[in-house]
Amino acid sequence: MTANPTAPAVRVRGLTVVYKTPVGELPAVSNVDLTLAPGTITGVVGESGSGKSTLALCLLNAVQSPGRIAAGSVEIDGLGDVVELGGEELRRARGRHVGYVFQAAQNSLNPLKTIGKQLLDLGRSHGVEDLRALVRDAKDLLARMGMDGARVLDSYQHELSGGMRQRVGIMLALVLNAKVVVLDEPTTALDMITQATILRIVREVHDERGLTTLVITHDVGAVAEVADNLAVMYGGRVVEHGPVMEVLGSPRHPYTRGLIRAIPRLSGDISLARALPGRPPTLGTLPAAGCVFRERCDRRMDVCDTVEPVPLTRDGRTVACHAVDAAADVDANAAPGVAAGAADRTPTTARRKEYA
Amino acid sequence: MTPTLRGRARSKTSKTSPTSPTSSASPKAVARRVAGHVARGLAMIWVVATISFVIIREIPGDPVKGQYESLIQKGMSPEQAERATAVLYGFLPTGSLWEQYTGYINSLLHLDLGRSLSTPGVEVTTLIGSAARWTVLPVLAGTLLSFLLGVIMGVYAAIKRSGRLGDVLALSGSLLHGVPVYVIGLLLTAIFATLWPIMPSGGPVDVEHVPGLNPGYLGSLAHHAVLPVVTYTLASYGGWILAMKSNVVAVLGDDFILAAELRGLKRGIVFRYIARNAILPLFTVLALSIGMLFGGSIFIEQIFNYPGLGLLLVGSISSRDYALMGGTFLVITIGIVVANIVADLLYTAIDPRVRSGGAA
Repeated sequence: MTANPTAPAVRVRGLTVVYKTPVGELPAVSNVDLTLAPGTITGVVGESGSGKSTLALCLLNAVQSPGRIAAGSVEIDGLGDVVELGGEELRRARGRHVGYVFQAAQNSLNPLKTIGKQLLDLGRSHGVEDLRALVRDAKDLLARMGMDGARVLDSYQHELSGGMRQRVGIMLALVLNAKVVVLDEPTTALDMITQATILRIVREVHDERGLTTLVITHDVGAVAEVADNLAVMYGGRVVEHGPVMEVLGSPRHPYTRGLIRAIPRLSGDISLARALPGRPPTLGTLPAAGCVFRERCDRRMDVCDTVEPVPLTRDGRTVACHAVDAAADVDANAAPGVAAGAADRTPTTARRKEYA
Repeated sequence: MTPTLRGRARSKTSKTSPTSPTSSASPKAVARRVAGHVARGLAMIWVVATISFVIIREIPGDPVKGQYESLIQKGMSPEQAERATAVLYGFLPTGSLWEQYTGYINSLLHLDLGRSLSTPGVEVTTLIGSAARWTVLPVLAGTLLSFLLGVIMGVYAAIKRSGRLGDVLALSGSLLHGVPVYVIGLLLTAIFATLWPIMPSGGPVDVEHVPGLNPGYLGSLAHHAVLPVVTYTLASYGGWILAMKSNVVAVLGDDFILAAELRGLKRGIVFRYIARNAILPLFTVLALSIGMLFGGSIFIEQIFNYPGLGLLLVGSISSRDYALMGGTFLVITIGIVVANIVADLLYTAIDPRVRSGGAA
């Protein structure tokens, strides 16, 4: 972990995002707490529909209609609560404080304008006085990522490969000196070599510029390579969060374990990889009470049907699971009966504060 | 895994293997492109000219031969009749098909389309020239006006598509798109020329004015042009607004618009991104419809009594004026061919993706 004094911390607290549907407002992200320590790269993994992209958009208060942030806050050092921002203030924060990098397969660039002209649009939008210096910074950044800056700025999107576009996206996110960077599936739809290059660039640029980075992905391998911390999302909740090697090395939440078990090995028997049974929940099938993962869980208990597990932090790792709580309690011989039933909600919550 | 080595190798390849030779086409490439278009256009015009020659020559009853024979019957000598017919059609009435054809093409190259039969003695080019005046300006004005109006309203209809304004605009588009142009024209004449006569009921200009650049004549021209132009505008506005609305809606869903917003671009800039991308496909349609205007608008010319190209064509058909018919066809063809070339070049200029040399 490379703590950098200039990097801001990001604190997500009690974040709930709901989407308006014909059957009412359904939560895509539910009461999420997540702290991005300054100068770290945090990976967020989860299946499609787990709410990870919605969470990423929240860092720019950019949840798209028909969704909206219903509760919670996203505090960024030096910027304040992004959820409270609006209008011009919010527009200026986007790009300037928080950089957002789109997936390479998505066309995040205007097809009718050269990269250079779009860079100037960006500069003008943020009141950059010295546009020459901006172009120079952009060229430096592109050169840093192994590209010919002058030529790239003269190019149109269709003249660039996926890997080149991705680096252009990173350049546009960083050129205004944003210190918080969100990468939404940065390696999806890229070939393996380019994936490795992009991840290396992300890591190096992150260290050099002292950033706080959030990487959204469904590629556990990519996260293992680049991230310091890992958050696992399921059904709109962060079910496990901790240092990446610990989470991957000794996963605690049944979902994380299932996820890792499902990864086929490059060498060895492919049948050793076990797919998680069942399907991930959609907004409509998400249970209203109890644990969202219980239908697919191999450690389901009675309490899971009625009480939603609360994220508990111990040894720097946060897990939201009744079974893990019970096991830990047995191990530690502490607070008897915590996992016994629904009535024990209060001591659990109290304990959470203690660990946090 | 040696990142530095790989990094160097990558930067080298990205320098030596350009994705495209040039990002903007060189003047030479543009000239070659234009030359190619002109050559293809001329070939197209030649094909149409040939077809119209064959049709006129081979039509049942053979009007050329019929004319020649009727002149002889009227007492002309064969030589005289031959000359008179040649003047009329631009080629000799007798002789082999090939001789006639070369004669026809030869007079075409001298811009001689022959003489009209229904207006005896007047050259076809003169007739077309004077009719074009009454077509080009009103139809051009109507096309441009409806384009402007439709595009602007289309953007609003797309942005406000979930509100009442959007519904009203989209409905106005569908409604006007569905109503035939002659119904709009007749309605407008009924209202503004009959019930509430503030507009002239027909004709391109009041006869009492002396033609020329005097205010009375120009004012009368403009006054007479109002209803035809408005009719044309209303008739084509529906298509533009509907097309523009769906284009804008499509572009609004594009990732790069969200990306632009997330980069904190100013609203005005994002709006320009949307508008330029959405309007792109419409430019081709615009160029083509300007090309079509040489066909005139028969209904509008009929209703407002404008002696334009549309009426000329219909008149030449009903009076079996083959030389005039062929000439009108040719003018329409040239208009469309030129419009196609312009559309293609225009698209090249405004969309970098279709520029030659650009690797997709």
